[in-house]
Amino acid sequence: METYKYTKSREYFNRALKVIPAGIYGHLGPAEGCFIPVAAFPFFSQKAQGAYFWDVDGNRFIDYMCAYGPNVLGYNDADVDAAALKQLEMGNCVTSPSPIMVELAELLVDTVAMADWVFFAKNGGDVTSLALMTARAATGRSKVILIKGGYHGVAPWTQKLGYPGITEADVINNIYVEWNNYNQLEAAVKENTGQIACLMATPYHHPVFEDNKLPDVGYWQKVRKLCTDQGIVLAIDDVRCGFRLDVAGSDNYFGFKADLICFCKALANGWNLSALCGIDALKEAVSSVMYTGSYWLSAMPFAAAIATLSKLKKLNGPQVMQATGKQLTAGLQKIAANYGFDLAISGVPSLFYMRIANDDSLLLHQEWVAECVKRGIFFTNHHNQFINLALTNEDIEFTHQVADEAFQAVKKRHPEVG
Amino acid sequence: MLDDLTRGCINLHAILRNLEDLCDLDPDARGIIMNKNLSILFAAKSIPPALLVFAKGKCKMTRGTGHHDIKLFFKSPQHFNRMIDGLASPIPLKGFTKISFLTGEFSKLAERLAYFLKPTPQLLEDERYSEINTILTAYTAFYALAEIGNNDPIGKLNAARIADGTVGIRVLNGGPEISLIAKGGKLEIKKGIEPEARAFMTFDSLDTASGILNGGLDSYACIGNGSLEIKGYIPMVDNMNKLLAQVAAYLK
Repeated sequence: METYKYTKSREYFNRALKVIPAGIYGHLGPAEGCFIPVAAFPFFSQKAQGAYFWDVDGNRFIDYMCAYGPNVLGYNDADVDAAALKQLEMGNCVTSPSPIMVELAELLVDTVAMADWVFFAKNGGDVTSLALMTARAATGRSKVILIKGGYHGVAPWTQKLGYPGITEADVINNIYVEWNNYNQLEAAVKENTGQIACLMATPYHHPVFEDNKLPDVGYWQKVRKLCTDQGIVLAIDDVRCGFRLDVAGSDNYFGFKADLICFCKALANGWNLSALCGIDALKEAVSSVMYTGSYWLSAMPFAAAIATLSKLKKLNGPQVMQATGKQLTAGLQKIAANYGFDLAISGVPSLFYMRIANDDSLLLHQEWVAECVKRGIFFTNHHNQFINLALTNEDIEFTHQVADEAFQAVKKRHPEVG
Repeated sequence: MLDDLTRGCINLHAILRNLEDLCDLDPDARGIIMNKNLSILFAAKSIPPALLVFAKGKCKMTRGTGHHDIKLFFKSPQHFNRMIDGLASPIPLKGFTKISFLTGEFSKLAERLAYFLKPTPQLLEDERYSEINTILTAYTAFYALAEIGNNDPIGKLNAARIADGTVGIRVLNGGPEISLIAKGGKLEIKKGIEPEARAFMTFDSLDTASGILNGGLDSYACIGNGSLEIKGYIPMVDNMNKLLAQVAAYLK
């Protein structure tokens, strides 16, 4: 199989470097996106459709990053985009919001098990910050318990002291505990009795560079009880997992009820929208928080979200994506084993994490991912992957073929492995 | 805010330490110490001591104590830093008959070191000067990075986030190879690359290293264009880079 070249991507990147910090900043860029080596990765896309995107050099990729999650039905889904465009004809960013906002809120309240109300914004970080502010407004307390290695966006409070731009005041109220360590959590609550406003966590632990970890049996139920007993708001950051585990919310998937839940990514299939859902008891508190943005009530993404959620429900989306993820990963593990590679898979299959576990440096894994990307399978080497509903059996088969050839290439360079 | 102890440790273990490389790289520096055989112990309160040995036309600096002909004592990190800034003198505790070395040859060596560590655009146009400047700057930056990680209050937080193991730092095409070894949040720098490094940071040339370490090039842009390659267990490199960002403030 011939490997890809990225001449035009590089040309655009060189132009970008002159006028955009880092050329492409953030998680889509070569530095944060861990393009290792950079020569193996495309930098700019030309178009996207279904499970694929094409870069500016015309190379096609089966995209297992799905724009880091938003692509859940397939890029340019006809139903979603038609709904959005129909709304555009009527109005999008207008002084008075469209009633379609109410329709989406009603749909979410009917769909998400814990939801009594919905507050819309744009990015995941908008609603994780709102969740924290709401918890503080409701409890009159300052502190928040977070899980070590968890990710809740890029607002200063979500970062760490020692990172550029972060001051002690930004993070002074954060308390960190280990995932699945209930005793540590209980001790932290005890040490800070009456001071903790919020416990925020993802429904399962999905850090970068590490195997993902599901909750231990009974973990969430004990956490739920502790929060209730201590008057702590339990906020679930479902930005990444949302609608890939359960359309009723990932708390529902794991058998507990959150007080607040944050959605974004898969909510509108790529149209820019996030939502904080909450219970009645917190409705007054969230109303009291001064929180808004220029485009937060634009109508097109609301129409897109209604179409996306309706289709996800109709297609039994989360279950289908989990089955696809299992089929994909089982094949990858088998192929890896043929070459002596131990491909560790973790997390829920619809957004699985994988790494070659033969070394503790990820060097082999980075080599293999690079070989896959150069042959048209877009994986990342540091982050969980994402499944979407446009993937076909042929796509999975092609992925397995490429994976085989990529393992072969790595094995040739490392005959000592396995 | 700069921490006096950290600054003192950097001045001794990252900047003065360069004398050993200076004497290897620069014939003029080597000439100054050619026939000198003596050792100096730097003992500053709270700063781990360092032994500087001149013998057979070479200079070697080690962390710790040992046989010494001259002992220079400093009452505090601030006292040591003031000496480095030319505002204070050390307190000699041993080697009074050899003090002339300090005011003579050692002083000349220090001037030579300052010459290579304080580049101007004109000086950098000279290829050999630029090469020596880059090598010394790289050693200074990474040795300083470890001191920041071990002493500075914010640096300690970033050092604690570096997983145990080695980060191999390479400057290709004539540059140095350096290992940053992390264990339990403590950092150590060694020359050369440890065979079992978990992560790597590779500058493709002396020019790239010089540009990034002297602040003329954006490291993120260099990652994008491939002139700076990082690979392996990236969180180690990521947290190391946060320490590297503190280095510039200390070396101003």
